Amino acid sequence: MTSKSERRLSFWLFLAPVLIAFAVVIVVPFVLGIFYSFTNWTSSARADNALRFIGLENYIATFKDAAFAHSFGITVGYTLLNMIAINFMAFSLALLVTSKIKLSKFYRVGFFLPNLIGGLILGYIWQFIFNNAIPSLGKILPIFSFLSSPENLMLGNPASAIMALVIVGTWQYAGYIMMIYVAAIENIPVELMEAAMIDGASPFQRLRAITLPMVAQAFTVTMFLTLVQSFKQFDVNVSLTSGGPSTIFMDQPILGTELLALNIYNTAFRSNLLAMGQARAVLFFLVLTVISLIQVGMNKKKELEL
Amino acid sequence: MKKLLVLVLAMVMVLSLFVSCNKEAETPTITLMQGKPEIDAMLSAYALAWGAANNVNVVIKSIGGASGGLGPQLKADFAAGDMPDIFAFDGLQSYKDWEGLILDLSGEPWVSKTAVAFTYNGKTYGFPVAVEGWGMAYNADVLAQAGVDPRTLVNYAGYQAAFAKIDAMKAQLGLDSVVSMAAGIEMGWVTAHHNFNSLLSNGLRYGDLSVVNNLLAGNVDARRLSEYADWVELLFKYADKTILTTGNYDSQVGAFATGKAAFLHQGNWTDPNMKAANATFTMAFAPHGSTAAATDGIFVAAPSFYAVNKDSDNVALAKKFLTDLATTAAGHTYMVTEAGMIPAFSGISLQPSGQLSQSVQAYAAAGKVYSWNQYYFSEDFRDKTLSPIYNQFAGGQINKAQFIDLMTQAFIDNKE
Repeated sequence: MTSKSERRLSFWLFLAPVLIAFAVVIVVPFVLGIFYSFTNWTSSARADNALRFIGLENYIATFKDAAFAHSFGITVGYTLLNMIAINFMAFSLALLVTSKIKLSKFYRVGFFLPNLIGGLILGYIWQFIFNNAIPSLGKILPIFSFLSSPENLMLGNPASAIMALVIVGTWQYAGYIMMIYVAAIENIPVELMEAAMIDGASPFQRLRAITLPMVAQAFTVTMFLTLVQSFKQFDVNVSLTSGGPSTIFMDQPILGTELLALNIYNTAFRSNLLAMGQARAVLFFLVLTVISLIQVGMNKKKELEL
Repeated sequence: MKKLLVLVLAMVMVLSLFVSCNKEAETPTITLMQGKPEIDAMLSAYALAWGAANNVNVVIKSIGGASGGLGPQLKADFAAGDMPDIFAFDGLQSYKDWEGLILDLSGEPWVSKTAVAFTYNGKTYGFPVAVEGWGMAYNADVLAQAGVDPRTLVNYAGYQAAFAKIDAMKAQLGLDSVVSMAAGIEMGWVTAHHNFNSLLSNGLRYGDLSVVNNLLAGNVDARRLSEYADWVELLFKYADKTILTTGNYDSQVGAFATGKAAFLHQGNWTDPNMKAANATFTMAFAPHGSTAAATDGIFVAAPSFYAVNKDSDNVALAKKFLTDLATTAAGHTYMVTEAGMIPAFSGISLQPSGQLSQSVQAYAAAGKVYSWNQYYFSEDFRDKTLSPIYNQFAGGQINKAQFIDLMTQAFIDNKE
């Protein structure tokens, strides 16, 4: 055997574990999932459980469902708000911890820490804060007495419950995104800043003319991460609101804060419509892919090469 | 190249070793999957002892969770071809999910010892795990202080008078609210499952499905629904608004256990919570007041059943496990003393220690029981259609007339 073919063999052998794992956990389920979305699959031993091909029925029913339309709308809204809030907070924090304040290393760790707490637990902690801690603050301090009124509970109505989700999402994720900004800001050549300072540029001018363009590459990454993370939000949604409180949409009483991922889960496992949940997951994938591609394309244009 | 060959051969040998190791295990294994994490430790201990005595390896898997954790897990295991030998299901709708897989247990020795086994078309399919019940749990000490006789709590008028009286004396009795009720989406099981059942079975003979069948056919008895809406309104009106709209299980049960509410809309499964909170007051259940006519019973049934998997390799062992649970002293001790459950079988003299469980047992012994009919409606309908309606009503976004309209419309839309 020649050494060339030997090398090729070892190349594929070393790659095999990864390729097999990728095929088994990504490619096969993905293809099967698309297949199941066109069937009446339920994964149960019902009396009439023969797998039947039903064409686009799952997709048509999904588009007719008021709860899905509502979920879609609030997910887009939540994603936008969350992207803005996380990136604003993360960038501000990054500027803070890269400036010459004392204990900046300590702050970095502190801001990053919430990211290490699981989303489910985080949701329950914040549920306690919104339902118990904030109202009791209202009881202690007379100025905040409006907080203790049951009508003003954050989780009591759908609009403010979405804001609560944004607050928790930002608290959880801003530290992680901050780290990416910190790395980008620290990579800015010192000469640029020094030259600007000698020319008498104000801190704001330096931020606008040097820092922002120089970290544009990081923006591509952080925007993408926050977009995908927000769009796929599930665990905090489950534990913080479970989709509640309810609201009336298109004359139907439905869950008011059920984001898309939770809607898919509930369709599949609460309503026992696994195939329809699968169809929604396929739609979810397509929408997320298109939106992310547009976002990355837009951000790429703004990047700067030195 | 030779080295590579040796390596591959070595790996194949190691792999085959693993495979043969697995095959060598002689003791049969049966797997039981159930949905009550709170009894996992006791059940595992019992299963270990039983397994040692019968030379069987019994694996207990407990999957709990607010959003019906067991259901999704069973579906995933079924898709993976790894169904347990014994698994829990909770009623007709979930029976239908596994209809092709559940073994007919009509011939088992325990069938004649219970009245609450799961039966369908005259055959027994489910082994009742326990008996549970709910009504309006009341704090007898507070009621005595307020001068309310629990025996008047039998219909809407009785509750209305009692609630108004206690509400006026809240400060004096140290209460925050009269009733501890939860209607958030997370607590949809309290409203759209348990409270909803008052509409379906309160005041009817045990097993009477007339109301259920009418509602399933889209025929709504306007009078019964309107009386029921009065009851829901009454509960919501005298509940603590914070707990009602955003509270979870702990805050709902906690308010009652710490003496901040005189009534609790929950069942006897709260006994461990009462114990944990050191609640020492006298408590018991009263019937629901969802009708103008007086009713004298609470809602009692088996909350879940064990089914034997027809395709299991060890059907005989699985059957023996269930039979021993119902007929041996060790099984009884586990059910009643260890797990604190009310046994579903006759001929057991042990008594659970919780006050609410004892109250349920007293109602059951007197035959003053109404059935659990909510399982005739799909989980989908209850959680995704009814639960938001109750939630809207609790939050004050809709009034009673709109509540009745939305409920009526929901039943009409649900008609198949």
